[in-house]
Amino acid sequence: MEALRVEDLSINFGGVKAVNNVSFSVEVGKRLAIIGPNGAGKTTLFNLINGQLSPTAGRILFFDQDVTDLPTHRRAHLGQARAFQLISLLQNLTVLENTLLTLHGTKPHRFKMFRQIRDFKEVFGQAVDELKKVGLWEKRDELVQNLSYGEQRRLEIYLGLCMQPKLLLLDEPSAGSTKEECTDIIGIIKNLESDITVLIVDHDMDMVFGLAERIIVLHYGEIIADGTPEEVQTDQRVREIYMGVEECIDYASDR
Amino acid sequence: MGAIDQEALARPRQEKWISVVAYGIAVIVVGILPAFLSSYIQGVITRFLIFALFSVGYNVVFGYLGLPSLGHAAYFGAGGYVIAVLKMHYDIDLFWVGAPLGILMATFIAAMFGILALRVSGIYFLLVTFALGQLLYSVAWNVKWLNTPGMQGIAGLSLPSFGTGGWTLDPISFYYLVLVITVICIYLIRKIANSPFGHALIGIREGEGRMRTLGYNTWLYKYFAFVISVIFSGVAGVLFGYYNYVISPTHLGVGTSFLPMCMCIIGGTGTLLGPVIGAALIIFVELFASIMTPERWPLTLGGLFVLTIMFAREGVGVYLAKLWNKMSHPYGSIKS
Ligand SMILES: Nc1ncnc2c1ncn2[C@@H]1O[C@H](COP(=O)(O)OP(=O)(O)O)[C@@H](O)[C@H]1O
Ligand SMILES: [Mg+2]
Repeated sequence: MEALRVEDLSINFGGVKAVNNVSFSVEVGKRLAIIGPNGAGKTTLFNLINGQLSPTAGRILFFDQDVTDLPTHRRAHLGQARAFQLISLLQNLTVLENTLLTLHGTKPHRFKMFRQIRDFKEVFGQAVDELKKVGLWEKRDELVQNLSYGEQRRLEIYLGLCMQPKLLLLDEPSAGSTKEECTDIIGIIKNLESDITVLIVDHDMDMVFGLAERIIVLHYGEIIADGTPEEVQTDQRVREIYMGVEECIDYASDR
Repeated sequence: MGAIDQEALARPRQEKWISVVAYGIAVIVVGILPAFLSSYIQGVITRFLIFALFSVGYNVVFGYLGLPSLGHAAYFGAGGYVIAVLKMHYDIDLFWVGAPLGILMATFIAAMFGILALRVSGIYFLLVTFALGQLLYSVAWNVKWLNTPGMQGIAGLSLPSFGTGGWTLDPISFYYLVLVITVICIYLIRKIANSPFGHALIGIREGEGRMRTLGYNTWLYKYFAFVISVIFSGVAGVLFGYYNYVISPTHLGVGTSFLPMCMCIIGGTGTLLGPVIGAALIIFVELFASIMTPERWPLTLGGLFVLTIMFAREGVGVYLAKLWNKMSHPYGSIKS
């Protein structure tokens, strides 16, 4: 079954075709990496899939449902979760508050006005469990802005998983993280249930080649290669584009 | 899990008796003392309560949602005008008619204006709410039906009647009516602030984009919050109409809209009761200023504002709360 299908997707920013005629589909449970130089349109593609932007042309199908015109929050309810390139956690709120808001977001009682948030014991208990899992329970009353960058990354990814998504969109999860933190993140994703589909954008080749079963290469908003890691590594055009960073590809093939 | 919850919510014991004493004092000050004061002072305290209610409601949008409205007087005044028009044209001063109609009118206007104002945020929200408020102001100024002949506004209002033949409200009973309504309203706002809905408002203030990806229909939250906030402006406006005996276009305009904003900033936007402290400060300083140097009131208000920004950036209410925490935790252990 297809988790996601993108058909002839395009978006223009005043003449700049940030995403141009992109089509691909992903089977349920697959781990797909999207790579490409800076400005290739990877984040924009995520913004289209997750609904922050509307395409100028094309369609997006999520589990066979056309979501092209659905707002972001509706896509969240259908099962999309996202971690942003620039961390989007609520910096002035505590770790616990961020967790509670995440857990309540997809619950039907999120509009309840006359019951204390603390009285939803079940959700509170779930927050406790999740924070213990991430190892941030001790820091539950810290403001997010006081966490280290790596801790924030980990929290954002875990919170995405708290939403029990069907599709997880990770935009450069390795950015700004140390080697150990990257290994940590790779471990988290490897251990995900096999029915969660993961789209991951990253420059870190450990991350990409360690996780992806399939890689799409974007360049100036267009797909120039789409295949298994081996196929992409040997692709002539990809090698040309990555001239400057060729050692990355070589490094991956060395392993 | 229950155990952890307990631990997280645990409070040192000595705070209990201090709280009891504090609530005791509060009950005496607002509940019993006014009965023995002059009717002038009773009026001032009534005014304080009305503005405390107005500000706490306003803070739902201003503090929780982080949107600076400069037009809440439009809904406050609308409540008052309903009372005034009923009295002037239909000779109705029945509370059971005036109050619901006034609140309904405020809510109805907010339901329309909210759609316009919430298309923008930040400083533009301030400008749009300001413009919409001034729109009502000029309507009230220009429509004959909304003015007592020979003056701007409607005079000759009275305290409400309750359809209980023979018995009419005196100022102190009216004071208690306002007290009960204000306490109930603030209790409701407190409920809302602590609910999943209220927390979502704070989340939207801190990062609307993130809240959308978490599944929150942020527009709907903002709209509900705006309308809820205005319902309380309407309640305050109705009470103000009865209290003030006169309603004029000023009560719809920017001058009046500025008051709850000032009260929230001075008292502290981050807390439920900060605006109450702000209202108290402004109303009572205004009282003293009006006795000493009435013409310098704007200057006095400005001075109060500057002092707050300099010495209690988060608001006097928050400042006092911190002091309070220090007092009730003798070893200096402050917990959130
Ligand atoms: N909101 C926007 N408005 C105008 N141009 C944009 C916007 N977002 C992205 N772009 C442009 O689209 C192109 C792709 O950007 P982006 O998707 O961020 O690339 P990547 O994530 O692959 O580095 C860039 O040229 C960028 O300047
Ligand atoms: Mg990017």
